[in-house]
Amino acid sequence: MLRLGRHTFDDDATLMMAIVNRTPDSFYDKGATWAEDKAFDRVAQVVEEGAEIVDIGGIKAAPGAFIDEDEEKERVVGFVARVRAAHPDLVISVDTWRASVGRAVCEAGADVLNDAWGGADPALVEVAAEFGAAIVCTHTGGATPRTRPFRTEYDDVVESAIADTTAYARRAIAAGVDPSSVVIDPAHDFGKNTFHSLELTRRLGEMVATGYPVLVSLSNKDFVGESLDLPVGERLTGTLAATAISALAGARIYRVHEVVETRQVVDMVNTIAGRRLPQRAIRGLA
Amino acid sequence: MRLVIVPSTLALLPEYASIEDPVADLRKAVEGAVAWLVEAAPAAVRGAGPAAKRIGAELLGDARGSGPGLLVVANGSATRTEKAPGHLDDRAVGFDAAIGQALARGDLAALAGLDRALAAQLWAPDVPTLAGLGGFEVTSTQVDYDDAPYGVQYWVVRYECVS
Repeated sequence: MLRLGRHTFDDDATLMMAIVNRTPDSFYDKGATWAEDKAFDRVAQVVEEGAEIVDIGGIKAAPGAFIDEDEEKERVVGFVARVRAAHPDLVISVDTWRASVGRAVCEAGADVLNDAWGGADPALVEVAAEFGAAIVCTHTGGATPRTRPFRTEYDDVVESAIADTTAYARRAIAAGVDPSSVVIDPAHDFGKNTFHSLELTRRLGEMVATGYPVLVSLSNKDFVGESLDLPVGERLTGTLAATAISALAGARIYRVHEVVETRQVVDMVNTIAGRRLPQRAIRGLA
Repeated sequence: MRLVIVPSTLALLPEYASIEDPVADLRKAVEGAVAWLVEAAPAAVRGAGPAAKRIGAELLGDARGSGPGLLVVANGSATRTEKAPGHLDDRAVGFDAAIGQALARGDLAALAGLDRALAAQLWAPDVPTLAGLGGFEVTSTQVDYDDAPYGVQYWVVRYECVS
């Protein structure tokens, strides 16, 4: 069983985590949901499209204007409370590395702390434990939050991702986080060049074999863009190809901009893999 | 003794299950009739070909025996519509209607005269199985299902027969 705050899921369930930015400057939507009502509309839309989780973020991952804790809370805490009230069945994840922000959003009703920066604030796990929240343990190769990789190399990027995310997971469990609420994420493109992200995709099964549920965040990222030489906005097909490979390897949670397309790919791959029944098959059987 | 007729569609088998059952209504009727059949006594399976026998065995489970009950696994034509497995043959609806009327009357003797050459053209390989039921004398009849959701004619019928 996978427990995400107040929600539980079967061990064979795949989950769509829709990205909802409370930022003026994220790379893909460029501030489309910066206005709170626009973000609220986006939540309603992705729920309609079948997303089980929303991942609300107040700071873009890339370098940019410094956002302090108060500003980050200003962007996300009230919004989490509003989404919690409007969508009681929705899993609310918040993309933050700061324990103080984590505490405030958990008090407002968040279920998951998505620590995209791999434990940069060691107190975040204690907040997750205190509130019964799930935690996403990512691999950044030790990168400082909001920095780009520069000539980063690994002896074996997959080994590094497994070692760091499982160490983080053990630290979370030791701090009191429910073991069924710990998710690992290789964090494509975080502290990694395109070759690293491709290798993590190709060998994702090794992360799945750790037994922790694996989250993948592939959507429209630079490793897709560089593989195909396509700009943001033209990366959906490449994203879905990487999604299919990840689904075949057994990834459980998909952090996405496009919910409907990703759900179809994940369901189709799992149906081919024999892990999911066809929706409705009668051809040749009647 | 009790006799039940169910169709030989592979969609009834668990290995072909979907998330959303394409034959939910049929399955409900089949399960009800089979439960009624085996509450009285163990039942044998009669059907043409290994698939029909497999479906019968699956439906009866532990209640499968040498009788006195009988589960007949057979259906009508598969050429009733353009989307039917055997495409459209205009003769199919009338052919099935004649069988359906005989089944509803409990007049199993009437099935003996079915045109087997036409049955083959209408993709109805189970018809000889139905034609072989002429020796049963029916004392009560209940039709649970009579429909053709995929261009294939299905019936679910319960009979009490003279032993």
